[in-house]
Amino acid sequence: MKQKNTLICWVSGLIAFLFSGNSYCSAETVPSFLHEVMPLLTRYGCNQGACHGKGAGQNGFKLSLRGYAPELDHTWITKEFLSRRVDSAVPEESLLLRKAMGEIPHEGGRLFSKNSKPHQVLVQWLKSGMPGPLKNEPKLIGLKIIPNNMLLSLGQKQQLQVIGTFADKKDSPILKEVDVTWLTKFAVADSAQMKLDANGLLEAVRPGETAAQAFFEDQVAVATFTTPYKAPIALTAYPKANNNIDDAVFRKLSALGIPASAVCSDEIFIRRLYLDASGSLPQPQEVRLFLADKNLNKRRIFIDQVLEKLEFVDYWTLQFADIFQNRKERDHDVRGTKGVRSFHAWLHDQVRNNRPWNELCKDILVSTGTTAENPAIGYFIVTVGEQREAHKSEVVASVAQSFLGTRIGCAQCHNHPLEKYTQDDYFRFSGFFSRMRFDRKDPKEGVTTLFADLNKEDQKKPLGVNQPRTGEFLSPLPIDRSPIVTNKDTDPRLALAAWMTDPNNESFYGAFVNRLWKHYMGTGLVEPVDDLRSSNPPSNKELWAFLKNEFITKKCDIKHLTRLILNSQVYQLESGTISGNETDTRFYSHYYPRRLGAEVMLDAVSTATGVAEVFSGYPEGIRAIQVPDPGLRSYFLSVFGRSERVTACACERSGEVSLPQLLHLQNGKWITDKLSNTNGTLKKLLLDKRSDKEKIDELFLLTLSRMPNPTENKTIADLLNKAESKEEFYQDTFWALLNTVEFSFNH
Amino acid sequence: MFDIKFGSREKRCDGVGRRNFLRVGSLAGLSLASVLQMEAKAKSNKARAKSVILVYLGGGLTHHDSFDLKPDAPEEIRGKYKPIETVVPGLRIGELLPNMAKVMDKIALVRSGAHNNDHHETATNWVMSGRFGTAFGDFPAIGAVVAHETGLAGSIPPYVAVPKNPSFTWELGKSAYLGGRFESFKAGDPNDASYKVQDLSPSEQLSIARVERRGTLRQAVDQLAGKLDNAEQVKTFGEFQQRAAELVLSSKARSAFSIDRESEKLRDRYGRNTFGQSCLLARRLVEHEVRFVTVNYGGWDHHAKIFESCDKKLPEFDKGLSALIEDLHLRGLMDNTLLAVFGEFGRSAKINKDAGRDHWGQAASLLFAGAGVKPGLVLGATDKLGSFVTRRPVSPADVAYTILDSLGIDPRKQLLSPDGRPIEILDLGETVRELYA
Repeated sequence: MKQKNTLICWVSGLIAFLFSGNSYCSAETVPSFLHEVMPLLTRYGCNQGACHGKGAGQNGFKLSLRGYAPELDHTWITKEFLSRRVDSAVPEESLLLRKAMGEIPHEGGRLFSKNSKPHQVLVQWLKSGMPGPLKNEPKLIGLKIIPNNMLLSLGQKQQLQVIGTFADKKDSPILKEVDVTWLTKFAVADSAQMKLDANGLLEAVRPGETAAQAFFEDQVAVATFTTPYKAPIALTAYPKANNNIDDAVFRKLSALGIPASAVCSDEIFIRRLYLDASGSLPQPQEVRLFLADKNLNKRRIFIDQVLEKLEFVDYWTLQFADIFQNRKERDHDVRGTKGVRSFHAWLHDQVRNNRPWNELCKDILVSTGTTAENPAIGYFIVTVGEQREAHKSEVVASVAQSFLGTRIGCAQCHNHPLEKYTQDDYFRFSGFFSRMRFDRKDPKEGVTTLFADLNKEDQKKPLGVNQPRTGEFLSPLPIDRSPIVTNKDTDPRLALAAWMTDPNNESFYGAFVNRLWKHYMGTGLVEPVDDLRSSNPPSNKELWAFLKNEFITKKCDIKHLTRLILNSQVYQLESGTISGNETDTRFYSHYYPRRLGAEVMLDAVSTATGVAEVFSGYPEGIRAIQVPDPGLRSYFLSVFGRSERVTACACERSGEVSLPQLLHLQNGKWITDKLSNTNGTLKKLLLDKRSDKEKIDELFLLTLSRMPNPTENKTIADLLNKAESKEEFYQDTFWALLNTVEFSFNH
Repeated sequence: MFDIKFGSREKRCDGVGRRNFLRVGSLAGLSLASVLQMEAKAKSNKARAKSVILVYLGGGLTHHDSFDLKPDAPEEIRGKYKPIETVVPGLRIGELLPNMAKVMDKIALVRSGAHNNDHHETATNWVMSGRFGTAFGDFPAIGAVVAHETGLAGSIPPYVAVPKNPSFTWELGKSAYLGGRFESFKAGDPNDASYKVQDLSPSEQLSIARVERRGTLRQAVDQLAGKLDNAEQVKTFGEFQQRAAELVLSSKARSAFSIDRESEKLRDRYGRNTFGQSCLLARRLVEHEVRFVTVNYGGWDHHAKIFESCDKKLPEFDKGLSALIEDLHLRGLMDNTLLAVFGEFGRSAKINKDAGRDHWGQAASLLFAGAGVKPGLVLGATDKLGSFVTRRPVSPADVAYTILDSLGIDPRKQLLSPDGRPIEILDLGETVRELYA
């Protein structure tokens, strides 16, 4: 390692010395614009979005956002306004320096002092004639933070060191490692947990685990630091592991010193299982059967049964339809409701057949033909929309987010702020969609067709797109820059699909596993669930690796992975916290309670009250989780946050709690109507010959999936005795049950 | 100047540069000392307003055809409307705003709203929050900040949107990191024949005894709630459960939203359309001490056939807004109500091939009134084509700063994000001092 040399030589031009043989460390060495001046502008925040990096610059001085366009920056710094920012005669007097040192008023304040490293490098650069980016400069090919995966006790400090690996030219075997700490911009994923100053000094201020991030040029390095809550807890203090998931989670909790809540009761388990897996409440009869079952393996048996229910298929079709944005276009729709329904039905078939995720995705990705013969083209109809050139449409960012859990949309306009993705990466990726062509027709006039090849003339052109900023022609490349070969005569999406579903593709498999895990556990191993990037590592790497490998080696069997999760002790922990795990929201020390999703909640009220919701245009009795089109008008579904599927972002589905929701639950006419409907549960129950106690039991089972406890029985019996009207009393009891946290939440 | 177009979705254009600003600054006779003085003054946080009404013109009002006419510009810029005189000597506005012409002496016109973003979602979140962020809304809307700072005391929500929040493809102006508790309460369309706020009036006649019994029963069977209250969502659910119950029972809340208690004559004066009735409802809400009301009046995104649309839309706008201004005055509400009128941007000078005007962040006309705002003021100006601001640019941060400051909320206060990170309400901006004589 060459850190020592570097420390001696930084003044005279860090990179120049690297490959310049004997001359290094001489005072004449010229600092590199790319490797020193630009990183300094980033390191000191000059080119960030709030300062000169924003679209209009700041007070007339503009820089490219975090340095995505070095050639423009060079011009702006050295040439704009008659070169007023630089003084070649007296470099020390340059506006660039005086502003940065706060010698003259500067909104950004004083960034560094005279004779500091950055000052000396900039002076040297100015004295050397301010060279811009050079063609044959060494290239940064890797970046790492030292140390990594380290335990820090509360209050402990640690200086980070950042090492860049350079090659003297592209694909060169000659590599050099250089300490670039002083040129690095630092950040930390969770700043409430660790403080990280501009010089890379880390301090643990709260327990937990977080990632330190180092940004240098177009690379990002990440290192994980863990601060235990308390002293490690013996593994024996955790429930006995059922499978590898438990091993991984309990090991993590043990190292962090977080205790786990107890394993939940059968009543809680059965309700949780049904709601999570099938989006539906268990029927009273199912609850009774389960509770009465003496088989020690009954949880496993019921898990298998629930995964075979039609509701499981319905509910997972809904999840997939969200991911693939199945909706009617607002303007100039070419599929009609029929098209939306046929894609939905196609997805339903895939779920029913437990179609491997990679195959399902491949089918969608390379789909061609008409809406009638291949409903999967609906994905492209929605994401390409009316854009004639598909590679200029939202499909590029949507595919990255839906299939790869990766957000590259920002790289369309500037380099990704938190990841290595550059504008070039974005446009190279867009090239995979450059051969798509639609023949769009109004559904009344004909059928819309997706072709994967251009017309004959255009097909002769080379495959790729023009980068709009640089004008450079770029051939297609995946976002991880894997070298793959595309051929102008075949549909480039085939190569994309092959790369994507390659067993080594971490983001493709990781993205789905993360979604599945989040669905059942409430919080993704990576959050947000569709924002996978090296600077946002999973909260449990061992578990991440296990789930991903399991998914890949078991041929993307979604049900298999689901079974593993549901059978784990971790999934079956209580939702209440105990002393020591109250603040944990990331390591799965207890089940995280969450409000039922819009469709699930509406169905739960409908089945409990025995009154189906009427959805106009759909057959009577259809359940909310079965409705294909999110355009269906429904106050309930809107106010409880269903996904409109307008974007690829999983955040469109909202689990938030709002005041209008509570008004609707407490006081909505719909709920009054359901309670008093002549064909509803309540009216029938009142005519029933069973005792009051049995009727109350039934209401509890219908709503909370459990029997009332003695205290509840007593309160209810007392109030019932005083009640003037039995019907009103039952209405009030039913209303009360539907308005509990216990009903509205999966817990 | 410099103009890059990246893709089709977003344009970025340069704003008023340092060079231009220096030139403008010296013309206007501003010295650094006076600027600093103004800054110092801006720090005072004495409340002038109790409530704010924001009339939000989503899509972007065409300033060329409303408050910033350019009669001497070439035809493809000046458009079809003629300027008319107003009650303020020398101030002329568009001919489709005759009622506004009569009340210009009660409000301040700022012709120099400026930023550099031409993207609906990004710009809307920017002007509604005062901070630049992504299109998805990184910062809470001013109304959500007001709700957060003034608290949720009383039965009526402190932040109400009539009929709802702005949206193009997704909802904008949300509470961002402040969370769902401070989201605007949506009042619905008060122009509906049988207007009622969704679920506010009791859906059935319940005796007090039954209401109480329901409460008792719910508490008796909901012991789980207490065990889970470490979960943020469960806590919020419990809080809103309480607030919803109070809201339904509160006669004050019912009264606030009872637009049918207004006379037919007054309702007609405001205009029998969603915008007119929304303005009227906003006045009622302010009377009932709602702190921040957004009247969301979209549909100004006239890329095509702008004059056909404005022929219909400007009179509706003219009628509703002038009625609101008059009414606030008559009732003495103007003293402690700040009225602000703006959209996410203005529109481009040159009429395009579809007879429309396109997005234009560089220049927009904004209106302010009440709570000490100098009536009859005209501040700022654009160039002879109405493209760029030549005098006193006012940024989204300045507007948000002015509003918060007016309510006595320190715009530089640090709020906490859910993960405990301190975030300044506004990182930039200052009160537009000229608005206060």
